[in-house]
Amino acid sequence: MNILDIIQQSAGKTLNDYLMTAKASGQRIMGYFCAYVPEEIIHAAGYVPYRMRAVQSSGTTLGDTWFSSINCTFVRHVFDKVLRHDFDFLDGIIFSNGCDHLRRVYDNWRYAGVQTPFLHMFITPHVINDNANRQYLHECLNLKEVLEKHSGITISDQALKNSVRLYNRKRSLLNELYELRKAKAIPIKGSEFLSLMLTVTAVPVENAIEILEQVLIEIKGRDTTRPGDVRIFMAAGHMEEIDHLELLEGCGAAIAGDNLCMGLRHFDGQADETGDALAALADRYLNHMSCPRMINDFQRRLDHVKQTFKDYAIDAVILEKMKFCDLWGGEAFIWRNELKKTDIPILVLERELYGGSTGQIRTRLQAFFEQVRNRQVHDDFVQAAGKIYRLK
Amino acid sequence: MLKPLEHLKIINNRLLLIKLIGHFPRLTWLAMQLARPLYVDHETFLNRTLRYGMMTLGAGKLPPEEVKAYVTGFNAMRENFKRAMQAQKDGVPLVWVQWILSSEIVAAFGARSLNAELLNVFGNVVGWEAPSKLIAEAEAIGVPVEYCSALKTSIGAYVLGQTPEPDLIVRASQPCDTSISSYQIMEYLTGAPAFTFDAPYWKDEPSFDYYEKVMWDFVAFMEHHLGRKIDWDKLREIINNVNDFNFYLHEVTEMMRATPCPCSMITLLMQWVMREITIGDPAITASAKEVYDVVKARYEKGEGIVKKEKIRVIWWNPPFAFFTYIFKWMEHQFGAVVVNDFIGQCQMPQIDTSSNESMIRDLAKSHLYLAMGRQCHGPVEYITDELKRALEAFNADCIIFAGHNGCQHGWAIGRIFKDICKKAKLPVLILNADIMDQRHMPEKEIMREITEFFRSTGLA
Ligand code: SF4
Ligand code: SF4
Repeated sequence: MNILDIIQQSAGKTLNDYLMTAKASGQRIMGYFCAYVPEEIIHAAGYVPYRMRAVQSSGTTLGDTWFSSINCTFVRHVFDKVLRHDFDFLDGIIFSNGCDHLRRVYDNWRYAGVQTPFLHMFITPHVINDNANRQYLHECLNLKEVLEKHSGITISDQALKNSVRLYNRKRSLLNELYELRKAKAIPIKGSEFLSLMLTVTAVPVENAIEILEQVLIEIKGRDTTRPGDVRIFMAAGHMEEIDHLELLEGCGAAIAGDNLCMGLRHFDGQADETGDALAALADRYLNHMSCPRMINDFQRRLDHVKQTFKDYAIDAVILEKMKFCDLWGGEAFIWRNELKKTDIPILVLERELYGGSTGQIRTRLQAFFEQVRNRQVHDDFVQAAGKIYRLK
Repeated sequence: MLKPLEHLKIINNRLLLIKLIGHFPRLTWLAMQLARPLYVDHETFLNRTLRYGMMTLGAGKLPPEEVKAYVTGFNAMRENFKRAMQAQKDGVPLVWVQWILSSEIVAAFGARSLNAELLNVFGNVVGWEAPSKLIAEAEAIGVPVEYCSALKTSIGAYVLGQTPEPDLIVRASQPCDTSISSYQIMEYLTGAPAFTFDAPYWKDEPSFDYYEKVMWDFVAFMEHHLGRKIDWDKLREIINNVNDFNFYLHEVTEMMRATPCPCSMITLLMQWVMREITIGDPAITASAKEVYDVVKARYEKGEGIVKKEKIRVIWWNPPFAFFTYIFKWMEHQFGAVVVNDFIGQCQMPQIDTSSNESMIRDLAKSHLYLAMGRQCHGPVEYITDELKRALEAFNADCIIFAGHNGCQHGWAIGRIFKDICKKAKLPVLILNADIMDQRHMPEKEIMREITEFFRSTGLA
């Protein structure tokens, strides 16, 4: 099997082969939610960080006994899986105050009596500034201490530094891959990139590095684009349905840039390897490309999409929001209004995780791409005028 | 097409009317009693801009001495609205203070504050449809439909020119995502520099330390943008008023444990509204004192707010902004008194004014005890422990849960809430409503559901 097939297979499983091997060899696995949780500390404590996901979900029937119909489908699917014991292989879980839906997973998890040996709520400030940085550092220290206490070990500075080095390596490989999408001939499809992300966030970091190195070799010289493809910038919160991105690609999208949890936000920015490791982590995690939970940073997110539009020759932006997600809903409002000023076409898609409606989505995408194509003004670095996407 | 600040001007006119008639509380009370058939049942063309005010003043069912206390506070609120509308003309900076925060520091800088969410409540003065129309406007321009309607109202009000332009905005990262998200939109739309009060998740010393630093950063932000220093003496004076205000309301909250309950929840809620608009103003502290005196006198005599108290209710979640009369209606109709709730009960700690540093620390700390923020910024226990305490201390017969449409984190813990109620073995009514937007469940429907609930559970 070539490496792209392997990652595709791994991405579709809750528990992939790499993880099973790690578990069999005695490694412990720590689930976590959200791109704001520092994986390095988990790793340095001897765990394999595992980004929570809902793949292989069979529905939300059980999840819905704890969450309501106005909660996002990601948490409802995940909680359903929790109650079906799909995550019993986890040795612990680190929750996050990423958003309202996510933070209540911590509450319901405890009250539902799920037997997980270690539970911890990791708090990320909602702003980016010096005070928040110190607070985030305090939170990192706290996480380190509770992990040490729970595991009966001491996380040495050296261990932390080693973790930082490994995760920096992983991030730099991901960045290298991401940047390849600048080219006209995009060597890796968006759906493949998502499979890759799903895999490298659920395997030991050493495996992730190997996988990424192999992928870089494998895709050399590849061109996944087709004539007439529309180069897309994707923005969203949690995304894990490969089928969905394949649907987009089937309609003529070539995903060239993103602001996704399972995308740029996971690997944007490096931690400084020279000074104090925890301080470096606080810096990196609080300052990486933000998601709309960060209140005082929407201008940077806007600047980023505009800059990527230029640097990656983007034709159009697709912003996807999960139903009942206030954060991405508000972001969509700002982007729609702002991008129209710069003639960047944007489509806002609202969906549910594993929500189907492919027919409807296909129709909207086809219509949108058609409009974008009709506005292309030159061949190579295509610019699209988006006057029709005006808010009333 | 609305004229600029049209709503606010109507509201101020009506508050002026209250000021005038408020000189004669007994007469006002009597007039409201006699005129009940003209407005209590429903809104008409004739009573449109008067009904909400009269219903809030108890529609003749609130004792005159309490009406007097309301009027004292209403005058202060009217003054705040007037000053906000005139701020630009007077060359005084206007600071929008998000409803989940408090405006002491703004006032200590000599700036004027405006609660940008004021039309959630006061919009009803213009007519029952007014807040719904603001919400509809926000949705029409692309504001997410699933936002809490409280914040949709504010955005709708701003884009329709119903809120004076801010020079600065003060916003919070609590109690929920709508708050986080909508105030990014506010900043984007207004272009005003915004300061964020980033609330910690826990209530422990490291969290208080963080929030204290946030408060110091806010002082620096104000200094930077206003080009002047904070007036510490003024802050001390304001905080002394705040401390007194909180003391009175805390005492009233405690007295409501008594059977019969000596105060109507609407009175505490109106005090909360006053706090929201103009905390630190000596006039609202005077209003709180008047309430305290009245309630204490009743408490000491063993009198209740209703002659025959039959049902003691815990009201969970915020009340309906458009239906302030519900509490008096329940009292009047069923002898049902809301003895504890989510918003009106006061749990504010006192602030140490002995030094500038102690004021800032305690002020920051106290802001984490403001209603809704207090319960919602952290783990579910911040909600459930409070509910459990209320169940233990207030001798309730039932719980009414005012389910609020857009409150996603609130609905996410519905199961935990229900389990607690089950353990308490008390009947629970869950209303699927929206606290701001009566298109979801209008007042008649709310009354029907409550009536049915009381009857079917044998409480009435
Ligand atoms: S969208 Fe933001 S808050 Fe939500 S999981 Fe992703 S990074 Fe975390
Ligand atoms: S009611 Fe719920 S959704 Fe609305 S402001 Fe309060 S916490 Fe937020």
